[in-house]
Amino acid sequence: MFLRTGPNSILPRRDFLGSSAAALSGMALAQLLQRDGLLASDQTHGPIRPAIDAANPNKARKPHFEPKAKQVLMIFCAGACSHLDTFDYKPALWKYHDQPMPGADKLITFQGAQGTLQKSPWEFRPRGESGKMVSDLVGQLGELVDQFCFIHSLTSKTNTHGPGENFMNTGYTLDGFPSVGAWTTYALGSENDNLPAYVAIPDPRGVPQSSGNCWNPGFLPAAFQGTDFNAAAPVRNLARPKQWSETADKNTREFLAQLNRHHLEKYPGDSELAARISAYELAARMQLSVPEVSDLSTESPELLKEYGADLSGSPILNTKAGYARNCILARRLIEQGVRFVQLFNGAYQVGGEGTSNWDGHKILKDQYTIHGEIFDQPTAALLRDMKRRGLLENTLVVWCTEFGRMPTFQAGAKGRDHNPAGFTGWLAGAGVKAPYAYGATDEFGYKAAEKVATVYDFHATILHLLGLDHERLSYYHNGIERRLTDVHGHVIQEVLS
Amino acid sequence: MSFAMLLSLGFPLRVFSQELAPASTAEIRFVEDVQPILDKHCVECHGASKQTSDLRLDLRSAILKGSGNGAVIQIHKSAESRLIEVVAGLDPDYRMPPEGPGLTAEEIGILRGWIDQGARGPDDQQALERPLPWSFKPIAKPESPSGVAAIDYWLERKLVEKGLMFSPPAERPLFIRRLYLVALGVPPTPAEVEQFVNDSRSDAVEQLVDRVLADQRYGERLARHWFDVIRFAESNGFETNRVRYNAWPFRDYVIESFNKDKPYDQFVSEQIAGDALGADLGTGFLVAGTFDIVKSPDINLTLMQRQDELADLINTTGTAFLGLTLGCARCHDHKFDPITQKDFYALQAVFAGVNFAERAVRRERSPDEKEKVDAITAELADVDQILSGYIAKAEQTSAAMGLRAAVNARQNEESFEPVTAVAVRFTIQESGGSQPCIDEWEVYNTDGKNVALASFGSKANASSTLPGYAIHQLEHINDGRTGNNFSWISNETNGGHVEVTFPAAQAIQRMVWGRDRSEQFKDRVSTKYSIEAKKEDGTWIELANGSNRRSASGSASEALIAFLSEQDQKDFKQLSASRRELQQGLNKLTDAQTVWLGTFNQPGTIHRLYRGDPLMPREEVQPGTVSSLMGVELRKDTPEQERRIALAKWIVDPANPLTSRVMVNRLWQFTFGTGIVDTPSDFGGNGTPPMHPELLDWLASEFMTNGWSIKHIHRQFFLSKAFRQSSQPNAQGLAVDADARFLWRFPPRRLEAEAIRDSMLVASGVIDYRMGGPGFYLQRVEQDNVYRYFPKEEVGPDEYRRMVYLTRIRQEQDPVFGAFDCPSGNQVIPKRSRSNTPLQALNLFNSPFVLQQSTILAERLQREAGADKKAQVQLAFKLMMGREADPYEAELSVDLIEREGAEAFCRAMFNASEFLFVF
Repeated sequence: MFLRTGPNSILPRRDFLGSSAAALSGMALAQLLQRDGLLASDQTHGPIRPAIDAANPNKARKPHFEPKAKQVLMIFCAGACSHLDTFDYKPALWKYHDQPMPGADKLITFQGAQGTLQKSPWEFRPRGESGKMVSDLVGQLGELVDQFCFIHSLTSKTNTHGPGENFMNTGYTLDGFPSVGAWTTYALGSENDNLPAYVAIPDPRGVPQSSGNCWNPGFLPAAFQGTDFNAAAPVRNLARPKQWSETADKNTREFLAQLNRHHLEKYPGDSELAARISAYELAARMQLSVPEVSDLSTESPELLKEYGADLSGSPILNTKAGYARNCILARRLIEQGVRFVQLFNGAYQVGGEGTSNWDGHKILKDQYTIHGEIFDQPTAALLRDMKRRGLLENTLVVWCTEFGRMPTFQAGAKGRDHNPAGFTGWLAGAGVKAPYAYGATDEFGYKAAEKVATVYDFHATILHLLGLDHERLSYYHNGIERRLTDVHGHVIQEVLS
Repeated sequence: MSFAMLLSLGFPLRVFSQELAPASTAEIRFVEDVQPILDKHCVECHGASKQTSDLRLDLRSAILKGSGNGAVIQIHKSAESRLIEVVAGLDPDYRMPPEGPGLTAEEIGILRGWIDQGARGPDDQQALERPLPWSFKPIAKPESPSGVAAIDYWLERKLVEKGLMFSPPAERPLFIRRLYLVALGVPPTPAEVEQFVNDSRSDAVEQLVDRVLADQRYGERLARHWFDVIRFAESNGFETNRVRYNAWPFRDYVIESFNKDKPYDQFVSEQIAGDALGADLGTGFLVAGTFDIVKSPDINLTLMQRQDELADLINTTGTAFLGLTLGCARCHDHKFDPITQKDFYALQAVFAGVNFAERAVRRERSPDEKEKVDAITAELADVDQILSGYIAKAEQTSAAMGLRAAVNARQNEESFEPVTAVAVRFTIQESGGSQPCIDEWEVYNTDGKNVALASFGSKANASSTLPGYAIHQLEHINDGRTGNNFSWISNETNGGHVEVTFPAAQAIQRMVWGRDRSEQFKDRVSTKYSIEAKKEDGTWIELANGSNRRSASGSASEALIAFLSEQDQKDFKQLSASRRELQQGLNKLTDAQTVWLGTFNQPGTIHRLYRGDPLMPREEVQPGTVSSLMGVELRKDTPEQERRIALAKWIVDPANPLTSRVMVNRLWQFTFGTGIVDTPSDFGGNGTPPMHPELLDWLASEFMTNGWSIKHIHRQFFLSKAFRQSSQPNAQGLAVDADARFLWRFPPRRLEAEAIRDSMLVASGVIDYRMGGPGFYLQRVEQDNVYRYFPKEEVGPDEYRRMVYLTRIRQEQDPVFGAFDCPSGNQVIPKRSRSNTPLQALNLFNSPFVLQQSTILAERLQREAGADKKAQVQLAFKLMMGREADPYEAELSVDLIEREGAEAFCRAMFNASEFLFVF
């Protein structure tokens, strides 16, 4: 509850209790408790809107049913990472290399006409005990296949990046809907009061193409917005301004607290005013805990090396090291109980298509060689590290991208065009069946053919693992009980452990 | 073919009874369990809008009635029910629904369970008609006192019922601060407070309210709320998110409309059809939303993008003006309100001619300006005459030298001696460093017929075509259509060729070609080229090339004047320079401003789309409005503009019960924090009913009878006891009505992001009250294909205007104030959430902006109050809280200033609850 005060509180404990405990009238408190109780009620129909305590909006809340996972790490490869060059092995592309795709002469995709079928420039090899075929582009991740549950039959509704990134991150192709992380924290709050409940870690090269849409609260209250920072760029306005000494800063805070409390005495029972006071308390705690969690200096040199965080010397290696540090940050946040961590690989388009993200239209081989180098080692190290620390017991790891790419090269180019008809994502960690592969694309990897899964299904499954009913978790906005999955989605039961 | 053969061929055979899913044994309810299944699979053809085979499956009573062919269910006998037979596919010739995967076993089980359990459901009479929502009923004219007293009368009746009463009136300093913050979005100056406190006239409050309503800042404040309601922002959204540099005139139009108290019915009409009402700027509303500029040759994408645009426009129109979530009827009939899917597409037919684009609009000119325009025009004509004399002279000289006119982007001609050819070839050698573009290549035979046309039977071939653009495909080279949108671009820089083969040999003598005959583009012009003809014997001869043309670099006239004498050239240049000046002067006066207001064209036929899918069109739909609400139906060929006019008229028709109710409720929310209906853009079945239905109707009626005057309504609110009472809580009130929805006190609330920032600038004294014109930026803009935004590290006087003048970029929040529930401009936000978060605290306590303002405020305190710290404190409290500090506050404050300086004190004051709230 918001009455909690801590050693870093900007309010002396006794005074605060004296004023704002009285501030919450017995009536209001009873209402809160009653609303809280609703969650646990045995109602089986209708929307569930979690009761938000204004004084501590991210206070931990009960899920709808016993969850398999308590936290989520979502790794998103921006720019549409090709399934055909990573995790979806299609021998037919070798067999029919450089031949037209049957039935696709008139095929028009995002950028236009198609050339011939093309095998991946990377060899695929059987990996792990399961022998699952994974390409050399992501060889280190490939060694971990036994932990993965692949969904090879994902489909998207759009073949443009902005709407596609929106769709995978918010469930809508349009701008302005709450992200998966915002829905999760709206539903569940957070176990850690000293850190943001929801953190988005942008790539060292910049934000993804859909920018803040990927972690925005949409129409949910601002409390459920992802706080974006990474290992290189700290939370904005977090640090004490340089021009103020620690004492001056502290004295100013104390003065402010006294002023606000004095004012609150004139408005006893006003919960919004009390909420502001506790927001300052949490801010003060974050000032200590965020730098602490972001401080990688306590990590061993061996670990930095394992992630590739020690690399430097070229722009690519610098980016790789930056991404590796973000991976370590992600682990540290999960370790501290942050509910939802979103880790981005790839940024907005800069320097031409596919230079800063996975949008390999032109020369796939050159472009992906760079992205594979940056992505594979740090991400694989992150998963190994999490496993060693037992973090995968409670954490669901999700890897995804906005859509897949074509089995053909584009006419007149050596890269693959966008393909929303079939692509791959994977789950790992808490509650997930592994090694496992769900669904499949057709012979060439063009269209999802078996057990076709939608992004809605993907989201429904994530919420289900968190103990949330995607059909009931709702927020009333502008005339509609909004859901992450709109009016769609089925939990993919087969992937649950 | 035998049965066995069928099996061996792998034909899926439906085997009776074995396939029938078992009936669910759980208790099945009609509304919760059965109706969703029928809605999903059946109601499309068997519902309110359409009853194939005279069967309706959206109501229990209709299901019991059966179809034109008899009963569809046998109560208690699901296995024998026709409905189950057809949905389970037991009849091999007849499965329902005819398309798609059909019902799952689970769904069939639920239907069976329902039938077996007696097909129970809500009372027939109830189920027969979805009742009209309260808001569709005509506005009542309840008996009540008139004027301000009416508001308090209705509120007091409810308060008394609850055992509550109004709080005592607020003290004057608090009241004026509240009025300013609510109506103007900034606090009053100490002098204004003092004047009001000392105003002993009996009508001091009325005088103050009138003054405030006449203040220009009122329009700025109310406009910001309107922009939330209609999700106005100044970038396209999506990943490219480019700035709309000329969307701001609409912002100024809205501010001015509120300031001039434009009748609301007129304001609404102008936003929908301002182009027909002499108020062009109003149509900025139609294109205020997001617009995805990333297009693709993939038709699926293009259709869906357009569908999304129109749906967003329909939904915004519905929610903003009518409080109806019309967007919900895009895929199916509305679940809660009497809005059919057909209604949605009728409205789509109204808006289908609206395009996201800029439109040139005329500025109004004063008589004085008109005179100037005439003078400059005459002078220009004279100059042009002299200039054309020089050009004629130059042309003569160059022709004498055997040179032809330079290639131009629009249209070029080649003439030659007639030659008999089977094909012609156009080879490009230079095109300005990019891939060449030709919009149409016309080849004329000696009969004057264009024989290159595909429709003539000629075939085009090219060395290459730029991939990815439907508008630049090879077929456009000879499709008879011109302009950039129907052009061919090669995929070779400064190169490529295109060949046209005639169906039979032709005697040809003339060709016409261009880059863009719509004159928008001047790049990609083929400046060096060779045109050849293939003779019947298979040999090629050259017909024309660019070598005898004048240089195409620079403008055509620049190329020409090179043929003049030096003196002539000098004179020509001087004259041209004065001409440019004259023209610029004229442009300023006549400037047809290009503004982001949308363009219009006559739409084609509109179809209802099955499940909202543009690839599944159904019957054609006529333009119209919501049929259950005095619906208007227009002819299919109604001109585009008339459609929008008809819609506007229907919305503002005084008999339309929604429009006035919705707006007075918005004003109520704007004033008191929460509306009488607290779902301000949903007055339908999924919204909440009004707390005070009589009061709402009284207000709606008062609004219309007073010429839809927003200021009139606001005046009543501001003068009411409800608005003038204290905001202090009492135990009784908190116990019965903690949120003060019944208004036993004025409910305090946190200010919105904009009001906080504006108030800080007012307190520090640096606010720039300049109105109108292009907005300011809080982000540095990097323009590429995709626009990128980086928060400005430092701001200065350029950014000290009111936040309503911020160029609002979608998705990109201001790093300080974005965290205060500031809408991102993507979705309509009729009511902002009001969070209190640690990020807000950090931003206000540590951001460079707030620290900068603290320094400026501290300087102001020292400057205006002198060195006395007590005086500084008192001034700060007057500026920020509208009152003096009490002894406790004064002592604390002086103490802080003594220890840490005035800046520390100001920094804390900007974070004080009292400063950030309206009480």
